[in-house]
Amino acid sequence: MIDELSAAMKISGSGLHAQSSRMRIVSENLANAQSTGRTPGADPYRRKTVTFKSELDRATGASLVSIKSIGVDRSPFAVRHEPGNPAADANGYVKMPNVNPLLEMADMREANRSYTANIQAITQARAMIAMNIDMLRNS
Amino acid sequence: MEPVHLFSLASDQAKWLSLRQTAIAQNVANANTPGYAAVDVTPFQDVLDRTTLTLASTQPGHIPLPEMDARAAKVRKSASWEITHSKNSVSLEQEMIKAGEVNSAFSLNRNLVSTFGRMLTAAVR
Repeated sequence: MIDELSAAMKISGSGLHAQSSRMRIVSENLANAQSTGRTPGADPYRRKTVTFKSELDRATGASLVSIKSIGVDRSPFAVRHEPGNPAADANGYVKMPNVNPLLEMADMREANRSYTANIQAITQARAMIAMNIDMLRNS
Repeated sequence: MEPVHLFSLASDQAKWLSLRQTAIAQNVANANTPGYAAVDVTPFQDVLDRTTLTLASTQPGHIPLPEMDARAAKVRKSASWEITHSKNSVSLEQEMIKAGEVNSAFSLNRNLVSTFGRMLTAAVR
C-alpha cells in the first residue's frame, strides 16, 4: 500500500521536474526575445522547444515522465530595418529571434497548471499515507 | 471476525485505492506527453470477482500461485473526456475528480477499519 503511494509520489515528482524544466525553457526564450546576432547578417537566438516522453520505471512499473529532447523552432526569423545595429546586414536589416511572447505566456500558464496538478496529486498521496499512519496511532 | 472477511476486504480495497491513486498520479504527470493515453484501474467489483481460491502446497516442490495482487487490477485505458491534438487523452479536471473520489473512499475505509479495530479491542478488554 505504502509502496503504491510512494510510487505515486515518485511519479508526481517526475512530473514536477518535467514541468519546471519546461518553465526554464520558457524563461530562456523570453529572456532572449531580443537577442540578435553579433556579426553582420548573423542568425539571432532561435526559440527552444521542449518535448516530453513517458518512460517506464522498472522498479515500480509505473510510467514516469521525462524530457525527450530540447529542440529548436525552425520557423523563419522576423527582420527589422535597423541600419545602426551591429548585426545589420548590407541592406540594414536585422534578423530578430522567432520568439513570440504571447505563445511563451500561454506555454507558461500551461506549465503552471500542470505543476499545480502534480502538487495536488502529491498532497493527496501524502494525506493517504497520513491516514494509514493515523490508524496505527489510534488503535 | 474473519468470517465477515472485513479486514481482508478492507485491506484489498485500500490496496486497490492506492493503485488507483498511482494511476492518477501517472496521468497527471503525463498530462503534456504527446501520444500518452490516460489509464485507469479496473473497477473494484471486477477485482473481487476475480479473487480465486489458493492451492495448498503439500509437497516441497510445489510452486505457490501468486496471491491476489492489486497489480492484477492494472490498467486499462480510461474513458476520457477529451483527446488533444497531440493524441494525449488526459483531462486534468477528470483526474482531480477521480483523486477526490479516491481520497474520500480511502478515508472511509481507514476509519471503518480503525472503528472495527476499536470494537475488537473493547471486546477483548
